[in-house]
Amino acid sequence: MNTLVKSVIDFIVETYNSYSKSMQIFFIFLAVNIFLFMVFAIQILFWGLGYTDMNNIFAMGVWIIGDLGLVSLGGGAFFTGFFLYMLRVDKLEPIINSTVLIGFMCYLFTFVFLVFDIGQPLRAWFGYAYPNWGTHLMPQSMLTEVVFCLTFYFCVLCVELIPVVLRHKIIDAIPAFHYIGHYLHRLMWIMAAAGTFLSFFHQGSLGGGMWDVLYGKPGWFRAHHQFFFMAIVAATAGGTSFMTLCPYIAGKVMKKEVAPMETFQTLAKISGAMFIFYTTFRIYDVYTMAAKYVPSFDRNYLDIWGGYYGIWMLVFEFAACFTAIAMLNIKKFRDQEKFMVIGISSGVAAIIMSKLYVVLHGFSIPNFPWKSFAAYNPTIQEWFITTGGLCCMIAIYMIMAKWFRLFPHLDKHEHHAE
Amino acid sequence: MNTNETHVTQENKMKRRWGMAIDLDKCTGCGQCSIACAQENNLPIFEDDSDQPKRVAYLELMKVTNDRDAKYPNVEVTFIPKMCQQCEGNDPSNPKPPCVSVCPVVATDVGDDGVVSQVWSRCIGCRYCQVSCPYEARAFNWWKPRHEGSFKKSLNSDVSVMSRGTIVKCTFCSHIWKRERDKAVAQGITDINAVLYTPTCASSCPTGAIVFGDLNDPDSEVSKLSKDKRAFRLVHTIDEKPEDEKKRLMKLKDYPNPKVYYLSSRQWVRDMMRFK
Repeated sequence: MNTLVKSVIDFIVETYNSYSKSMQIFFIFLAVNIFLFMVFAIQILFWGLGYTDMNNIFAMGVWIIGDLGLVSLGGGAFFTGFFLYMLRVDKLEPIINSTVLIGFMCYLFTFVFLVFDIGQPLRAWFGYAYPNWGTHLMPQSMLTEVVFCLTFYFCVLCVELIPVVLRHKIIDAIPAFHYIGHYLHRLMWIMAAAGTFLSFFHQGSLGGGMWDVLYGKPGWFRAHHQFFFMAIVAATAGGTSFMTLCPYIAGKVMKKEVAPMETFQTLAKISGAMFIFYTTFRIYDVYTMAAKYVPSFDRNYLDIWGGYYGIWMLVFEFAACFTAIAMLNIKKFRDQEKFMVIGISSGVAAIIMSKLYVVLHGFSIPNFPWKSFAAYNPTIQEWFITTGGLCCMIAIYMIMAKWFRLFPHLDKHEHHAE
Repeated sequence: MNTNETHVTQENKMKRRWGMAIDLDKCTGCGQCSIACAQENNLPIFEDDSDQPKRVAYLELMKVTNDRDAKYPNVEVTFIPKMCQQCEGNDPSNPKPPCVSVCPVVATDVGDDGVVSQVWSRCIGCRYCQVSCPYEARAFNWWKPRHEGSFKKSLNSDVSVMSRGTIVKCTFCSHIWKRERDKAVAQGITDINAVLYTPTCASSCPTGAIVFGDLNDPDSEVSKLSKDKRAFRLVHTIDEKPEDEKKRLMKLKDYPNPKVYYLSSRQWVRDMMRFK
């Protein structure tokens, strides 16, 4: 046993020493965050949510922002899969493994954050055992829909991830695994179709429908599930930007061409087109909120923006949307790497800001005329559980990039990841 | 099965629609309702209950002034006891409180007497109902509820002690109604509508400011008070709209339509209910 532990430690030290100084510092940063994540996880799970800055007014916080962001950005996985397997855009093949892995991690950590966020994690299974169904097959509660769709889509992503794992050179050498991986890959279009179907529902329900049904709250209510459909478009737009950005950063860190530039540009172009739809939808959304829904609460749209979470959030979101539209749809810009990167980064920023807006702005609005805008300042426990979760995702991505066939394009050029 | 628990027939179907009227002109802000509520419902006591945003209370006594910058003698103060407003939505015959439909595990429901219940042994603590509530009436147990020392001896055996990480709320003391129902059944009275009761906040109010009763009974005091010209509801200004506008707005969305009415003859209190 001691020999095994020693050899594992030797392997870690050897791998660590094989990296540059800057990468070593980054590894330490990841390790510290993951360690603090575990420490604070124990504290929150055993001693409760009193250690957070959430309260009876600001009932949800940074973990819900993380959930909304991860699901929305991870939604790029279903949309990229849809384009590759259903519409046969073969140029996306080199980054599909990376896309599936990011999608898998985004959904996995959505569950992780949800476990921290609910007050009774041991009762999490109640969501499946006692679902709030309405008439026919329609769930009454948007959260019921979220729970079921997230679970099913996560299962789909697990199946989609299996071929990536089975393509590891040691596993692939075993004939049985080789054939399983091969035929699973052949059947992937079914998974892509199922994933698209499921993803449409939970993108809409978690990102939008969950909020637009709250008819007592002026910051969220929209009739006819307008926000539901907008959240789906947001996921297709921002998710594809995120799926372009992650492998691009990986390539820069690894100093390798992980995928041809044409692949990045194809996905960036899809993202750019979706941002036109999203921004148009968002303008309509702001218009209807200002003209119709907020006045139905006897409130003025501009008056509900206040406190720390002012109208600058909306301005920032639109600025990022327009930047993404310009950089990703105009061929002259998209063909230049730096502008493309600005475009996809703006796309990701726009979607993150839209999620910040939903939670921070929505909760800050006072419910009574004599109360002022609420504010929220996450505690150290909330910060480290969030950043630790994100660091876990980065670590898994790095491990998969180094030891698994995350970027098949590298094999073609007989390169190996650093 | 108890033989007295007969099947629900048309005769013993619940006809009551419990509601409350609070006369703010009578309320002195003594806090007796809040204390009685905490005692009756086994609410926990924390070291620092001034941490208001995390406090577990069913009945919050909100202090409102006419003008924050006003000085004596121009300053006026009123206390608004605020509990769960037992919302109905647009259609009282098919109640749709904002919090019930959102619960993913059916831990909250609306009864045939219009009372919005909360089962904390079912609650997973997602706080979605708390988010949906426009009256901030729901409280979450951020810490493990504690009943130190002799407080344990005064726990009410009719109310289950709450646990950490669950949502709790005022249920119009529905356990008292159940107690009264059991008493009636023991006396051979099986008509469910024969059972009347008073929640502890109403029975403890020294000035009689809180009146509780059946809104469906036109002769009840609460029913009369709800139609009083001094009556209004918390941040629910749709009542003041012209009929056509009211219809248009109710087509657009549901309104909470609470069953707790407030009464005040002071105009500034009524004005307070509107966002400027």
